Amino acid sequence: MTGARLHPFTLLAIAGALPALAWILPAPSGGTVTAAIGLTLAASRGLRRGLWPAVLTAAPFWLFLLLLHDVPTTIAIGLRITTMVASFVWLVAALEPARLVDAMVAAGWSASVAYLLAATLSAVRVLKARARRIVEAQRCRGLSPRGGIAARLRALRALALPLVLSALHEVDERALALETRGLVPGIRRTPLAPPPDPAVEQAARWALLLACLLALVRRFVVPRFT
Amino acid sequence: MAVSPVLRLDGVSFSYGAVPALAAVSFAIAAGERVALVGRNGAGKSTLVRLVAGLERPDEGAVWVGDWDTRDCVPEQLARRIGSMFQHADQQLFASTVRDDVSFGPRALGVEEREVERRTDHALEDLDLTSHAAHHPYDLPPAFRKLAALAGALALEPTLLVLDEPTVGLDRALRARVTRALLARSAAGVALLVITHDLTFAAESLQRVLVLDRGRLACDERLAGLVGDASRLEPLGLVPPPVAALSAALDLPGRPVRGAEVARELARVARGRLAP
Amino acid sequence: MKSLTLDHTSFWYPATASPALRDVSLDVAQGEIVALVGALGAGASTLLLVAADLAPRVIGGRLAGAVARRDRSGIVLPTPWTQTSGMAFTVWDEVAFGPANLGWPTHEIARQVDRALERLELVPLASRDPVTLSGGELQRVIIAAILAMDPGLVLFDEPAAELDGEGARTLWRLIRLLAKDGKAVLLATSALDALPDVADRVVWLENGAVRAVGTPDLLADVVVCDAGLGTSVATVWRAGGLPEPYPLTVADAVQRWR
Repeated sequence: MTGARLHPFTLLAIAGALPALAWILPAPSGGTVTAAIGLTLAASRGLRRGLWPAVLTAAPFWLFLLLLHDVPTTIAIGLRITTMVASFVWLVAALEPARLVDAMVAAGWSASVAYLLAATLSAVRVLKARARRIVEAQRCRGLSPRGGIAARLRALRALALPLVLSALHEVDERALALETRGLVPGIRRTPLAPPPDPAVEQAARWALLLACLLALVRRFVVPRFT
Repeated sequence: MAVSPVLRLDGVSFSYGAVPALAAVSFAIAAGERVALVGRNGAGKSTLVRLVAGLERPDEGAVWVGDWDTRDCVPEQLARRIGSMFQHADQQLFASTVRDDVSFGPRALGVEEREVERRTDHALEDLDLTSHAAHHPYDLPPAFRKLAALAGALALEPTLLVLDEPTVGLDRALRARVTRALLARSAAGVALLVITHDLTFAAESLQRVLVLDRGRLACDERLAGLVGDASRLEPLGLVPPPVAALSAALDLPGRPVRGAEVARELARVARGRLAP
Repeated sequence: MKSLTLDHTSFWYPATASPALRDVSLDVAQGEIVALVGALGAGASTLLLVAADLAPRVIGGRLAGAVARRDRSGIVLPTPWTQTSGMAFTVWDEVAFGPANLGWPTHEIARQVDRALERLELVPLASRDPVTLSGGELQRVIIAAILAMDPGLVLFDEPAAELDGEGARTLWRLIRLLAKDGKAVLLATSALDALPDVADRVVWLENGAVRAVGTPDLLADVVVCDAGLGTSVATVWRAGGLPEPYPLTVADAVQRWR
């Protein structure tokens, strides 16, 4: 299981560097490497939590691309999108929001900002549980997930709308609720378990940044001089 | 000649992975019967209801809905016979009006349009929701959204209604509405299986009680008998509802547990005392 | 000593013409338990939000009149699943979320969290993932989470709604303990039958205004029973046509009967 004990900033750095490199490096070789790395990372979180969601989310994009572009362009862009999707899926599965908050607070960020970022990433987990409940409730009302395209689109409405509506409706309540849990600006939050940040990881993050910058230079600046 | 029960569980056992949830549960519910399912948090009530609705398959034994074995059915099929309402049912609402949401169920079953309207109107009337029928569900307070979800289950016109805590979040007046609606359906032959920790509501609306204790069926008997007996309720983690406790404490004839009946007996006994 | 004082307080929700609270004057002393009763929409939840300094500061709207608070307040909302942090993988972490946000030192956080978990009988669930908990268990976790922040004024909005019989009994016992510890407690509840043993004072809210204030005996008053807010015993006594004063509890009724 990759990522479990890495510092949250390292996880963010990797999840940011991979897509960046996918777009900077020349296609299709650059994209192939980064997509392969991204999918491997996603797969390391398991088939159900990692690889399958990544593949499932990326697939529609490939379909659209095929409709709009020729094959080489489709492959080039498709690999980049796959890298982005796989990196994000891996990040959501590997990153523990509480560790991210503690890491950010230990680094001097305000708790509210840290929480905002962490909550966005953990929203997936919360919504997944609710989505499952809604699917069950609608099936028990007779909604069949089978049938033709029209039927499936109608079914999607009955599944997606309640999820969005109830989530939106709760945004106000959640904002209020967080106030009740002491998340107010101005107070310095106590990190409960600040993640260790070994020098190796700090160096690795700088190295990733450097790699991205070098790739940028090589791609856009060097050709001017040749 | 015995009529086949609306719901029958035959030695049903179920575990979530390695965690046992239900062990050898057997009972049957006939048409029109009103049954309470009670027990501590974690006793297995919600698991049982999920098995009945076809969301899980029993590891051992079988769940029969009429003559259908749930192992051969999917939940959307069972919706033809079972109307369920789970906790947080108000999160399932999505249509732009209450009426549209309530009619979603019968429409999804492929019922003919005029019949859909009739079922929807009937469900809305039973719960006094007709005045809110044109409102957007999210414009209503949460308690009314809950009633709208219940109306959705009623509109399926099932042979069995399975409800998980239908009165949480409702005040006394709305709870009375739910009682009235359930009694009316039961009189028309619909069977009820209701999970509730509100024994006062159970005493008013239901007649039989199934008690789950750590996954096993600890009791299956008349509700009125159990609900007035504090010594039996205590070890099951239950608290006697005040009206039933009153009936037992005053030793009213017949030991009624429903409010109206207890009031009648109080009046009668009081009159009897005054008489010379 | 008064922990909370509302002086002729009125409150309007944003973009609403009619007030949700009208001219409410009310106080809660340290060590006192005050219960708010009323029909749905009578204003109890709004009053609690005002008492918690969430209305109008966080939710907007307009406030008239004065609100004075002596202690830090903590409020338990009726929807525990919205009050979770959303990022704790264990019950322990969830309860520690609030104290950590307050910036307390780690040993103090641990002390408060352990104490709160014990009081709510949550120690066996301390390592469970909050997402897997039942509604009743989650409500207890949120109550523990708010208590771990050691508020002087504790506000409860329908705290027993999701709890089973035993859970509710533990809750009422805990609320009495909180008052004994010197905390001020203001709670809105429709569990009228529990109030004679719990509340020091009962406030009847109707359409945003205070209709009556009194000891729990108020719940056996004729007018209150007519409004559907009497205890079950008082209500059934009245329905039986028996004379006043109506008994509040089964024990009262047995006394009267003899």
